[in-house]
Amino acid sequence: MNIAILSGKGGTGKTTLSVNLFSYLNKGTLIDTDVEEPNSHLFLKGKLIKEEGVYKKYPLVDDDLCNYCGKCGDFCNFNAIIPAKKKVLVFQDLCHDCGGCSLVCPTDAIKYIDKEVGKIYHHQIDDNKLFLYGNMTVGEVSGVKIIETLEETTKNEEILLIDSPPGTSCSTVAAIKGADYCIICAEPTPFGISDMRMVVELLRAEKRNFGVVVNKYNLGNSEIFKYLEEEGIELLEKIKFDREFANLLADGELLINHSEYFTNKMANIAKKVLGDKND
Amino acid sequence: MKIAISSSENNENSKVSDRFARSEYFIIYDHDKLSFEAIVNTAKDEGSGAGGKAVKILGDAGVDIALVPELGPKALEALLAFDIKSYQYPREKTVKEVLYLYFEKKLPELLISTSKGKH
Ligand code: SF4
Ligand code: SF4
Repeated sequence: MNIAILSGKGGTGKTTLSVNLFSYLNKGTLIDTDVEEPNSHLFLKGKLIKEEGVYKKYPLVDDDLCNYCGKCGDFCNFNAIIPAKKKVLVFQDLCHDCGGCSLVCPTDAIKYIDKEVGKIYHHQIDDNKLFLYGNMTVGEVSGVKIIETLEETTKNEEILLIDSPPGTSCSTVAAIKGADYCIICAEPTPFGISDMRMVVELLRAEKRNFGVVVNKYNLGNSEIFKYLEEEGIELLEKIKFDREFANLLADGELLINHSEYFTNKMANIAKKVLGDKND
Repeated sequence: MKIAISSSENNENSKVSDRFARSEYFIIYDHDKLSFEAIVNTAKDEGSGAGGKAVKILGDAGVDIALVPELGPKALEALLAFDIKSYQYPREKTVKEVLYLYFEKKLPELLISTSKGKH
């Protein structure tokens, strides 16, 4: 069973929820797909067992061979290669790596080059848990390929938690692709609600089952609970704000190691989402 | 010399478009023949890469100058590769009005993109 953890924006406690829920589980795998700013590894202290590069192929055009016939541009469905007047433009981030442009090129002007777009780190946690996170190479614009590789590597896990990128970008869509259930992590600020609404719309459009965990529920107002009720969205759990929690998090500590309150919350969420799969 | 203007409708009295790559039409003004022609912007429905494709349409039409409301990074790079200069017009004007502004040298040339690309 694959469970994605999402939020409308950063800083709503999504990582806190992911790493603590994961640590609470008896078994399972966690992937941090927030490849632009991975931070789960700050809390999970395991042993690095593997490190691998993620590569993408890009067309490289030899301007001396090119006769500007335009065939590559006509072929490409993604507008990733555009023959202009004196050079052929390649937009690497739009390229889907299909190889088609070089097939249609009459002068053999197109070669492919491999480019490392990021890395994936595998960590062993305890005896029976795995934690993987991806990190995008500085200067790259899309983490989708890394996220797809993370998902592909872990597609046969029995219990998989997916810490997803915040918001509703292509990266988020890629992260929830294999999810059976989604947990939205939200805060009771009016701002939090409008961001969350977009995630709700995304999940409905993608036809996912989901529930919400409200973080810091003792701050702000009750608008979020009204919203959940009106929309008929399941409230999985609400977690209070506690200065002690904030201090522990700043020190990179797992809350379940220090707070019974928090551990109970994780137990409850695990029960609701996983049923007896965690036994 | 040919000048393209992003337009919401198909003639020179139409309102200019708020967007470049996703505008409905490009009105092409041919300064040698003093004539206007509308071309449908087939790039506007592209899922991604609309900027580059829109520029290709202009490049294929032999455009030298583009008057635009905004430009993403890819569109700008493509315009440069096609040797098309771009100038930014203010909103809520008609195609003819921004063309006059261009000839009066009142439109700023765009040398950096005005918006971030989407991924
Ligand atoms: S490899 Fe495919 S997607 Fe990439 S530029 Fe060539 S035709 Fe387009
Ligand atoms: S298909 Fe080959 S020769 Fe034709 S424009 Fe593209 S790169 Fe140049």
